[in-house]
Amino acid sequence: MKTFRTGRRAHKAGPKTRAGEAIDLLAPIVGRDAIICDPVELATYECDGLTHFRVRPALAVLVGSSHDVEAVVGTCARLALPFVARGAGTGLSGGAVPDSEGVLLVTSRMRAVLSVQANNQRAVVEPGVTNLEVSKAALPHGLFYAPDPSSQQVCSIGGNVAENSGGAHCLKYGFTTNHVTELEVVTPDGATVKLGGMVGETPGYDLVGAFVGSEGTLGVATKVTVRLLRLPAAVQTVLAAFSDTDSAGRAVSAIIAAGLVPAAIEMMDALAISAAEKAVHCGYPKGAGAVLIVELDGPLAEVEESLLDVNHHCLEQGAFEMRLAVDDADRARIWRGRKSAFAAMGHLSSSYIVQDGVVPRTALPQVLRDIAKLSEETGIRVANVFHAGDGNLHPLVLFDERVAGEEARAEQLSAQILDLCIAHGGSITGEHGVGLDKLTAMSKMFSEDDLATMQLLKAAFDPHRICNPGKAVPTPRLCGEPPRPRRGTQPLQEQGLAELF
Amino acid sequence: MPEGHDERLKDLVGDCVHCGFCLPACPTYALWGEEMDSPRGRIHLFGQVLSGGPIESATVKHFDSCLSCMACVTACPSGVQYGEIVEAARDQVEQSAKRPLPERLSRSAIFALFPYPRRLRVARLFLLAAQASGLRALLRRPKVAARAPALLRAMESVAPPITPIERLPPRVPAVGNRRGVVGLLTGCVQSVFFSGINAATARVLAAEGFEVVIPKGQGCCGALSEHVGRKSEALRLAKKTIEVFKAAEVDFVVVNAAGCGSATKEYSRLFQDDPSFSAEADWFASRTRDISELLASVGSRAKRHPVRARIAYHDACHLAHAQGIRLQPRALLQEIPELDMCEIEDTMCCGSAGIYNLVQPDAANELGDRKAAAVVAAEPTIVVTSNPGCLMQIRSALERSGSEIRTAHIVEVLDNSIRGG
Amino acid sequence: MSTLTELEEACPSRVRQGRGLDSIDGVTPGLVASPLGTGEVAAVMRVASSAGLSVVARGAGTKLDWGNPPASADLMVDLSRMSRVIEHEAGDLVARVEAGTSLAQLTEVLGSKGQRFPVDEVVAGSTVGGVVSTGLSGPLRYMYGAVRDLVLGITVVRADGVVAHAGSKVVKNVAGYDLAKLFTGSYGTLGIVTELALKLKPVPVARSFVVAAFPSPRDLTPFLSALLSCQAAPTAIEIERTAPSLPVQMSVLIEGRPRSVELRAAEVATLLGGGEPFVTPPPGWGQLPGPVTLKLTAMLSAVPSLVEQASSIALQLGLPARVTGSAGTGVLFMGLPDRVPAVVLAALVADLRAVCDGLGGHAVVLRAAAALKSQLDPWGPVPGIDLMRRIKESFDPDRRLAPGRFIGGI
Repeated sequence: MKTFRTGRRAHKAGPKTRAGEAIDLLAPIVGRDAIICDPVELATYECDGLTHFRVRPALAVLVGSSHDVEAVVGTCARLALPFVARGAGTGLSGGAVPDSEGVLLVTSRMRAVLSVQANNQRAVVEPGVTNLEVSKAALPHGLFYAPDPSSQQVCSIGGNVAENSGGAHCLKYGFTTNHVTELEVVTPDGATVKLGGMVGETPGYDLVGAFVGSEGTLGVATKVTVRLLRLPAAVQTVLAAFSDTDSAGRAVSAIIAAGLVPAAIEMMDALAISAAEKAVHCGYPKGAGAVLIVELDGPLAEVEESLLDVNHHCLEQGAFEMRLAVDDADRARIWRGRKSAFAAMGHLSSSYIVQDGVVPRTALPQVLRDIAKLSEETGIRVANVFHAGDGNLHPLVLFDERVAGEEARAEQLSAQILDLCIAHGGSITGEHGVGLDKLTAMSKMFSEDDLATMQLLKAAFDPHRICNPGKAVPTPRLCGEPPRPRRGTQPLQEQGLAELF
Repeated sequence: MPEGHDERLKDLVGDCVHCGFCLPACPTYALWGEEMDSPRGRIHLFGQVLSGGPIESATVKHFDSCLSCMACVTACPSGVQYGEIVEAARDQVEQSAKRPLPERLSRSAIFALFPYPRRLRVARLFLLAAQASGLRALLRRPKVAARAPALLRAMESVAPPITPIERLPPRVPAVGNRRGVVGLLTGCVQSVFFSGINAATARVLAAEGFEVVIPKGQGCCGALSEHVGRKSEALRLAKKTIEVFKAAEVDFVVVNAAGCGSATKEYSRLFQDDPSFSAEADWFASRTRDISELLASVGSRAKRHPVRARIAYHDACHLAHAQGIRLQPRALLQEIPELDMCEIEDTMCCGSAGIYNLVQPDAANELGDRKAAAVVAAEPTIVVTSNPGCLMQIRSALERSGSEIRTAHIVEVLDNSIRGG
Repeated sequence: MSTLTELEEACPSRVRQGRGLDSIDGVTPGLVASPLGTGEVAAVMRVASSAGLSVVARGAGTKLDWGNPPASADLMVDLSRMSRVIEHEAGDLVARVEAGTSLAQLTEVLGSKGQRFPVDEVVAGSTVGGVVSTGLSGPLRYMYGAVRDLVLGITVVRADGVVAHAGSKVVKNVAGYDLAKLFTGSYGTLGIVTELALKLKPVPVARSFVVAAFPSPRDLTPFLSALLSCQAAPTAIEIERTAPSLPVQMSVLIEGRPRSVELRAAEVATLLGGGEPFVTPPPGWGQLPGPVTLKLTAMLSAVPSLVEQASSIALQLGLPARVTGSAGTGVLFMGLPDRVPAVVLAALVADLRAVCDGLGGHAVVLRAAAALKSQLDPWGPVPGIDLMRRIKESFDPDRRLAPGRFIGGI
């Protein structure tokens, strides 16, 4: 039994606010130690992995059980208080940015792996369990949990459910929504509901399918049942170096056109490679204008033949160096560069915007050229890291906030990249979600009617709009304000501004 | 605080991109799951202070609870210098914040005792008497323990069994061709409670062809004080240490305590505001070597006899994260014939962390228990480390769990192997 | 203007009176409109909305006797003329189709470029829209997931006639709510799906079916377990028991490159204690048993037990039930003759429901004549039904879309 921090200072008596009332109602249930209302402490929860949006919540509750979650949500429903759920706070679209008048519900203490049922190929976990922990728990049974976002050692399953997270291996294995069969959810009225079941194909509406990817706007998941897959017999990882992204892109097309289905195909351009090199010394081939990491897995015979094909296609499209991982440590080294790419940008630039967009695979070469052109025209550097296999781009737009106007130009470039994605029939977000960050972009991708239809689903779950309000799906007619990035650290200042969107 | 310094700290804080990769590495986040007790959260708290926010008791509490294990530094992909940030934070806390009286008394008591080997020897006599008379065992009885002050309980719990002090001569000659002259940092706690380790260190160095100088008048290197932000005290102790060794004219200063090694290697930064002494500080910092680092770099000469044991090597945080030394100790152990090595799966800090287990005993106990469970799971016969603090902490946790796994310092194993196995 | 006239304006020369042949499980629609294109569907639905007409959609009409008979069907919207494959971008492994496109047609078009929509045609003549609306999958679900995992985006016409899009045509997209999942398996009760973007896979070069027989379901257990943890990566693991006391046949589909298929099929054959590899599918592969069809689900570890219990209950009731389905995912089907008395069927369903409930699954009567269903609830209880009702009310407040066909009286 874990002991938690004791000795929270008593909440100061003052004019009764709804937040104050909430504390009084919740303290006997969740424990006073689980409630944070000190402004300095609350400020540490003001943002998630995206630091542009910072809002301090009125209070935060570190829930320890589904019972606690029910109590918090029920209390919020009673007091008409908005609430926002947060896992590890690593999201990149501001989905866990708190509401200044509401409760931040933090699931980091609900981190038990409740069961691993190897014979049913299922695991049941609490929402605060990290993604990697699920695979670790499954490993002794020869199983693994397929969706593997780069932040998997820290991001929570609850967060994965909210964002429908993917990861490098989603090319072959799909996303969170393809691997969750059952959820226990507390809906915004405070009731606990079971969605789905141990087996898939539950009769009725696919509520699990509707909930996964809803970015915490339909309720809070308190138990997640995931599918586990058999670890593949063989894994082969290849690092291929090309002189430019065009030839690398052609190699990707050739591989797909040949009917191969690698587990992952990742690409990084020269700028991204240099950052990764500085951060983790991955030792990618010198002089590469682009690298491809292709991973194949499955039955041994299948993998061996596919590997020959992949090598052939890469060489044919001009790869000047091919490296095959000789063991697991080698494989980890190859992946380390890719997985640390975002955070490694700090070595190249004081600030940067991580963009996330999707284009049809066949449009990749053209879009990369367009981005390069935009970058040249604006003088803003863009490092490209992406899931080449499914057309999911992560342009990292670098800028120095101390240079006048550079930040604004960077934002503009970032928005233009999304426009490119839409123009090619793609999407404004492949993984990171809409959150706060892409609310205005939603109106570019979807019509008012489309958004109004999505709101019909929201209305069924959350008629009083207290569950993570103002995120993910804009209410039509109110999404005109572009969200602006913040640089300051004084949350009191930011609050007023950050609410305007 | 000097202007430039403030700017530098703001830059350091700004390096953090809030990715959260440090969270799973952090022991206090593992215990409590609170953002404020994670590296990311502490950086944020300090950022608030730098922007003019007050240093509240909450802020103090969260900085105090940091173990300074530096696991976050290893985990951080953006290269954030968390060590420097938390030190600056502690420095500010010490200078401006008010702690509750009982806490202040505790800290004063600890720092009136630990950095001074002579005073520690007196404390040792008390412990010896308590041990011999059975008073020590009494202190462990639940009813008595419940009434005893936390500090006393914590001290008793981690203190090792009292053994006779092994005295060291001022100079130990090299065996065979002399490869160099090294000074031995005897440490504070180490010299009084683990004198056997210092003796073993001298013997091993001599066997490997080094003439060992053990200067008299050594005190504490200042590590303990520096880590909790008692800067002027740390400077005073460090200066004395440097002067003592400067006089000795050695090629290297060998350290067998990870905490001391990490602190002395950072003397340059400690003295950055004192140009009059920085040359000496640089000299010292550049010559400090952990014993396993030195031995691995020169190659083993003395014959190793078999040691039949299954050894789990525990990486002390200040050796692995702060100094980046992980492979060398393992390589040295691998050279011993018939020695079987195994790895401890959980690499999180054991909870020793300087004086942490004295001032935050509950958290330290939990971490210690966690480490003990991980050690037991690896099924070694001996768990070996390179730090007296870790030795005490792990030994005490293993005892609590009822395990019979022994603990040893790496030099004790090497010494044993060289002397006949 | 009369409703008929308005409809004819919306859908010129393709509106007619409903006939007996149009009946939806015994309910003949008043009017039938056959629109061409989403725009016409929207126009038709606007008329229906202002006139308060109840609406049932139809593709090829192969599953009209699924679920409950509708409480009323003033208008049938026939999508069979909307059968274009709008776009097939082979390099992206995506196709966009109109809902009335038949699976057979789609297979042909995609096959010409070596690709397929990996969903079996378990009911001959099905359209994509119908398969998606009923959430109907076959043996390929083991490798590729159920149909809900393969729909990337949809265009729907709401009850009020508004056209909405959700998802996209790229394989990776998390913008907005995943309404495609919500609509999949919704039996047309939330709106009419007119266009879909589908995820495709390459057609494998070679395939092999390894077949083995087991005296009783209990004997399956170790072999099924071994198959689930083997490294041969089968595409499908199916079982079939043609009658309650007969042996159980297990058929495993292996796909891939020729050499690899050969090796893996041999591996599976050995694993099954001497199975036979075949190039062609065993008879009845991927076909729903019937004419009365039940869907029975259970946790993986309980599949043999489900087969055993289902057989024994059928036997006790004197029913020649055929049980078949995906043992690898725990989704099975039971087929019964249509002469089964309604009262017996009701008893069967009640017992099976209790069994499935205990095994982590559900028992649903997918298809049966209206008279047979009169004595039972084809759907059974399901958690979250209140939430489902609220969703229905949000999308179709006047309850005009396929009223009563779905679960919980929706």
